[in-house]
Amino acid sequence: MAAVEQQNQAAEEDVAVKEPLDLIRLSLDETVYIKLKGDREIQGRLHAYDQHLNMILGEVEETVNYYEIDDETYEETLKSEKRSKPFLFVRGDVVILISPSLRQ
Amino acid sequence: MKRTASERDGGGRRETGLSAYVGSAISIITNDGRHILGTLKGFDQVQNLVIEGSRERVYSPDEGVETLELGLYLMRGDCIAVVGELDEEADAEIDLPSLKAHPIGDVLH
Amino acid sequence: MLFYSFFKTLTGKEVTVELKNDLAITGILHSVDQYLNIKLNEIKVVDEAKHPHLLAVKNCFIRGSVVRYIQLPQDAVDTDLLHDATRREARNAA
Repeated sequence: MAAVEQQNQAAEEDVAVKEPLDLIRLSLDETVYIKLKGDREIQGRLHAYDQHLNMILGEVEETVNYYEIDDETYEETLKSEKRSKPFLFVRGDVVILISPSLRQ
Repeated sequence: MKRTASERDGGGRRETGLSAYVGSAISIITNDGRHILGTLKGFDQVQNLVIEGSRERVYSPDEGVETLELGLYLMRGDCIAVVGELDEEADAEIDLPSLKAHPIGDVLH
Repeated sequence: MLFYSFFKTLTGKEVTVELKNDLAITGILHSVDQYLNIKLNEIKVVDEAKHPHLLAVKNCFIRGSVVRYIQLPQDAVDTDLLHDATRREARNAA
């Protein structure tokens, strides 16, 4: 009985979320959505991360939002640009948030 | 900053720091987008640099490049983005007065 | 340590380093240190016409703190190896 309990406890420990980074550990090899500084967002498959939130992502799609100012009217229009990359290292200090598994 | 030859090439490992550039002409991009050139005289662990004969190149989209003489500079490592080894021959061939370019933006942390 | 070790396996390969000032530099990875400062050889600025500042520069040192992204060559990334290394690192940190 005690042994079974212990086993269950160990299994629970693997999936338990005790600290923020545990949530990211559970997203390994899953698609994640990341918001970055400088009005950037990325979606991609999480292949590696460390305690600084440095990451390597695969099948990455990046979206950059920016305002374009018209030369004559000075009107601002919101533009959005998408880029795809097979593999991307992202430095942790530009990361604002990570949201796990956008399963589609 | 005394270094033995074996330390200089990292004892067989690849030299990761700036020691290969000491005594050479270098080209620096700062975090506020300035472009500074000069001769690297020394550096430390955090990339504070001593640059002799430094000069700044100011770029603009409408006019050619303007050069400002600055002299001996100590630059703080925190403010440095890129340090490049300058090929002086290739650099001499650049037609600066007719080179127009957008300035590089700030590094946004 | 994970990414330092990973980038050491990438030396000699072509990468594109995108900086926080939107400058993107392609080159052959020469070396990396524990702060993820990077040295590149045979460099080329991606939009050289817009930013001709490094036209006469063949190799450079990039401060790790100004890096936003590094685009990696597809054939140099072993995803299973990265998963294992990441789990190991996460266990050790706990």
